[in-house]
Amino acid sequence: MNTNYLLPNRFKNIGWAIFIPFVVLGLIYLIREIQFSIFDWTVFAVFTDDGTFDFDIKYLSFIENNMTEELIGCFIIIGGLMVAFSQEKIEDEFISRMRLESLVWATFVNYGILILAILFVYETQFFHVMVINMFTILILFIVRFNWMARNSRKALSYE
Amino acid sequence: MNNSLKVERAIKNLTQAQLAELVQVSRQSINAIESGKYVPSTTLALKISRVFSKSVNEIFQLEEND
Repeated sequence: MNTNYLLPNRFKNIGWAIFIPFVVLGLIYLIREIQFSIFDWTVFAVFTDDGTFDFDIKYLSFIENNMTEELIGCFIIIGGLMVAFSQEKIEDEFISRMRLESLVWATFVNYGILILAILFVYETQFFHVMVINMFTILILFIVRFNWMARNSRKALSYE
Repeated sequence: MNNSLKVERAIKNLTQAQLAELVQVSRQSINAIESGKYVPSTTLALKISRVFSKSVNEIFQLEEND
């Protein structure tokens, strides 16, 4: 089936190679904030402030920042998108339906968890919820879609 | 929806993999259609019926609750 919104199949493995190490790095970062000094860069900030809650907002300025967490975040998203939205070896209408179902399921579960977190996690702990929630919809989709694909392959052996 | 895909395959002596290749889908799709887990698109149903030189209604039938 022709779909113009998916990447070619070869991107799937490249995606895994990026996604897994950066998810691991991300988890390590959450536990102990590792920062690599080679990522001390001068970057262009559209919005920034002094890091306190005074909200003294500065616009369009150059700032010094350690980019470790930004890079980890970007690579998790890039790798995750490649894993999630590369074609299967044979991308047909049945796979497309599994894709759609998994995406709907991931969206529901993601926001279900988020509602619970909004109601039951407070103050600075909620910051962690926001950080993790940036990636959960992608991760939930990948888990669910691959689990369904695996089940459909497993069903074959019963022929 | 019911289908007689398995019977038709047996008559023509085709495996799921061979049928899948003939209609350009994955083997999982043929398996899911046969077990009633997936209803194929009109295009795919037409392709399948062409393989067996039959009309679509001879292979796929509506059930009462469809």
